[in-house]
Amino acid sequence: MKDMVLKKVEKIVRRHGFDDISVSMENGVVYFNGSVPSVEDFVQIGLAAGKIKTVRGVVNNLYYPGRKKKKKKQGMEEKIGAADIVIVGGGITGCFIARELSRYDLNIILVEKAEDVATGATKANNAMVHTGIGEYMGTLKQKLCIEGHLMYEKVANELHVPYKKCGMWIITTKHTLKHYKIPSFIADFISKRIIPFIVLRRGKKLGIPMQSVNRRELLEQEPNVTGKALAAVYSPTYGVTCPYHLTVALAENAMENGVKIMLNSEVTDIVTGDGIVKSVITTKGTIDTNFVVNAAGLYADEIADMAGAREYTIHPKKGSTLIFDKEYGNYINHSMSLLKFPRTEHYKGGGIMLTVDGNIQWGPTMESPSRMEDKSVASDDIEQIFRHFSLLTPDFPKNVIIAYFAGLRAATFTEDFFIRSSERVKGFVHAAGIQSPGLAASPAVAKMVLSILKDEGLEMRENKNFNPYRKKPVIFRELSNGEKEKLIEQNPLYGKIVCRCEQVTEGEVVDVIHSPVPALNVDAVKRRTRAGMGRCQGAFCLPRIARIISRETGVPMEEIVKNSEHSNLFVGKAKCLLGEGDDES
Amino acid sequence: MKAEVVVIGGGPAGLAAALKASEHADVMLLEREDELGGILPQCIHDGFGNFIFNEMMTGPEYAQHFIDGVKKSDIDVRLETAVLEIGMDRKIVATNPAGIMEIEARAIVLAMGCRERTRNQILIPGTRPAGIYTAGTAQRLINIEGVMPGRKIVMLGSGDVGLIMARRFALEGAEVEGVYELLPKPGGLTRNIVQCLDDYDIPLHLSHTITDIKGKERVEGVTIARVDESMSPIKETERFIPCDCLILAVGLIPENELSKQVGIAIDKRTGGPFVDEHMETSVPGIFACGNVAHVHDLVDDVTLASEIAGTYAGKYAAGKIEEAGRVNITAGKNVRYVVPQFLRGLDMDSITFYFRVKEESEDVNIVISDGDRIIFEKREMVVKPPEMVKVVMPSSLLANTGGEVRIDVEGKYEK
Repeated sequence: MKDMVLKKVEKIVRRHGFDDISVSMENGVVYFNGSVPSVEDFVQIGLAAGKIKTVRGVVNNLYYPGRKKKKKKQGMEEKIGAADIVIVGGGITGCFIARELSRYDLNIILVEKAEDVATGATKANNAMVHTGIGEYMGTLKQKLCIEGHLMYEKVANELHVPYKKCGMWIITTKHTLKHYKIPSFIADFISKRIIPFIVLRRGKKLGIPMQSVNRRELLEQEPNVTGKALAAVYSPTYGVTCPYHLTVALAENAMENGVKIMLNSEVTDIVTGDGIVKSVITTKGTIDTNFVVNAAGLYADEIADMAGAREYTIHPKKGSTLIFDKEYGNYINHSMSLLKFPRTEHYKGGGIMLTVDGNIQWGPTMESPSRMEDKSVASDDIEQIFRHFSLLTPDFPKNVIIAYFAGLRAATFTEDFFIRSSERVKGFVHAAGIQSPGLAASPAVAKMVLSILKDEGLEMRENKNFNPYRKKPVIFRELSNGEKEKLIEQNPLYGKIVCRCEQVTEGEVVDVIHSPVPALNVDAVKRRTRAGMGRCQGAFCLPRIARIISRETGVPMEEIVKNSEHSNLFVGKAKCLLGEGDDES
Repeated sequence: MKAEVVVIGGGPAGLAAALKASEHADVMLLEREDELGGILPQCIHDGFGNFIFNEMMTGPEYAQHFIDGVKKSDIDVRLETAVLEIGMDRKIVATNPAGIMEIEARAIVLAMGCRERTRNQILIPGTRPAGIYTAGTAQRLINIEGVMPGRKIVMLGSGDVGLIMARRFALEGAEVEGVYELLPKPGGLTRNIVQCLDDYDIPLHLSHTITDIKGKERVEGVTIARVDESMSPIKETERFIPCDCLILAVGLIPENELSKQVGIAIDKRTGGPFVDEHMETSVPGIFACGNVAHVHDLVDDVTLASEIAGTYAGKYAAGKIEEAGRVNITAGKNVRYVVPQFLRGLDMDSITFYFRVKEESEDVNIVISDGDRIIFEKREMVVKPPEMVKVVMPSSLLANTGGEVRIDVEGKYEK
């Protein structure tokens, strides 16, 4: 078996004409060593090996020009405590696992290298709670997506997190098969009849409710959709949430149930002995533990490497998304995506998506490997998105764009979630390779990780004091005038608007600065309150938010950051450049 | 509670409107900040009041003149009060630290000002690090908050706020590498180009744009490029400039979210409501003035137009406006927009038309006609898109025009 796979992989390598590559295999994991001429080759080789059915993981150590070796940070050896389990990574996956583990009587520590939770892929996706209809059949991500989607309503209610079943149109148009040179009456027939039929049948098989709708019905319900639409399948249970709200809520609820969350704490090494996890070394000190969950997203392979448990390589896949002014939030009634074949490099998915906040988003893209090193958005990306999604709503006023961002998907070469205990190190559990639909799947991912931990021997006794509910945060703009009045009576700061565009009050900002996972920088406040997410993008409220953070935390105004340690908003006090600043105050 | 006139916004427009309205009716002035003056308190440079007071004042000085007037009047000023919604029936919901206010107003003056265009609206590619600010935000940071946004500055756009800020940065000891303007002509007033850039040796690069922003946590630099006639960047001219701060002065947008919510008709060209010569919008009893109606160059003009809005809002509340037939004003040759967009009173002695041209032109004749007949003419040495043109004419000339009047700018030779 192993030899057969190895032969296949070697064949792929030879086909690409690379001599400088050695291949080995262990426990179903393919290991590449050597070098290739470019990042495209690096990705192609990895993906080709990952496609082989019995390959569990691909560790791609191939060097290509420009591949950066990360500088290792210095950890602190000093013991700062012991835990039954350490979770690495404070994204949606790590925080969900932490919250679910807090149902048990365990000493749990979550370590996160950033200043806040939800700062990686969690904050930069299109917030869809997919049903699973779009995933490849038989994958782990499909299974967990279907399960996770069904678990959303409950957790959203418990934690007071926005969750809407916004519904989703999967639409075929004249563009669906335009790429193929077939007579249009045939293409139209396939788009009108056959494709919807296939989608419906798949839905039926998976237990996902779907309804077939003809062109007339679609245009009646969505008058702004292109007249070139041919048919649609409607998925009524498609949902949307707010990924950072959910993650913050999970983290807070976990903390209230006893989990310790260490922010600004980067893992620098994981000590093992006799094939068992012994301790986790971080920049803040060393924690003794026998169990580690690796939910480190883009860095999961590096964390695994520290434990000697490297069973996959993460290769980031960038996606860009555009956000439009709320003024046009009612332009469509449900989210929608265009089925277009072949699925190009740029658009494997994505769509015109409603958000829980009333904005419309277009995207995300899927970008070529040479451009995945950073989170910049190129004008090409913006144009591509405009062009592609204009095929669905051609008259949408694109000039009401208010923001764009890119996120990096933490993909493995096997293109599936990698959730299992390490074959190499006992007590080390991977929750890695979580890309779309990772948000939708997250409740099921957490559940699966818990069952793996149980099998690994983690003793899980019920925490009798577990409280699944989180206190409802104040969201001023959503209240009735009577409720607002009452709130202001309790605390006048709720009567003071600091963000005009989103109607966020000073009271809400102060609340999140003093919340269990405190918002200590401008972006952290923005993610929790929406201050700065509106049409002026913080031009008005940024100085005010920075001032409030400074006042509430005692950090001098000129030291307030945007989102990370070195993202200083200001370079000093006024007159500091004239050499007078230091004398003042 | 009930009110006669409610003025929303305590900047130069709101102050002037409130003062005039109070000559005819009881006035309540709502201001979201904890002080009056709007943007003026942060405009510590001079150049205000030249026209009205025949004196060069700073922004705070100019504002103080009107604040003093308001203090002496019996205008009911509510600070830290933000309007959340306005209904068709002129019912206002506002919030402040004392609670929610529900006000039934007989007349409303919208004077919320404008906001700045952002990096996103002009689609500058790149990352999203700290150190990217609009010029107005930078102005607030330095002049009010007392913090420096950066030490090596690149500026995109040559609007007036930007030019003022280029100088401000230089005065603070920051290095302003250059001001880059997409258009082949500067966006700000000539006097600002001279006083803010030339006098400080700050280079102005026309027909340039930014094609990339680099930096993970803080801005590390920007890529600039020359643009061709269709405003597309020319790849070969790209040049990377290390800097720690990007300032944007790429235009102002009238803030009309409340206006739109009421259902007031908005002129796409100005970004503000269609208004008549009283500054009354399409919704009876709701007036708009200052940068809500259209973006002005000079605060003096804001004051003058807002005084009209205030006067007529006061008269409206007191039940004293009479309407004559409607006259539509068409923006004709080389005219981008005209405010007011229509007339319906003809009860004022004179009417002031404010407009902007599309193209720069020298030695022009501004012609106001009813199609066939020339009603009024005015010569101008030069007209430029960044500089608002103003024509004052007797109202009486506009009677008997058959309801249609147009303004054309006839150039001898166009540049």
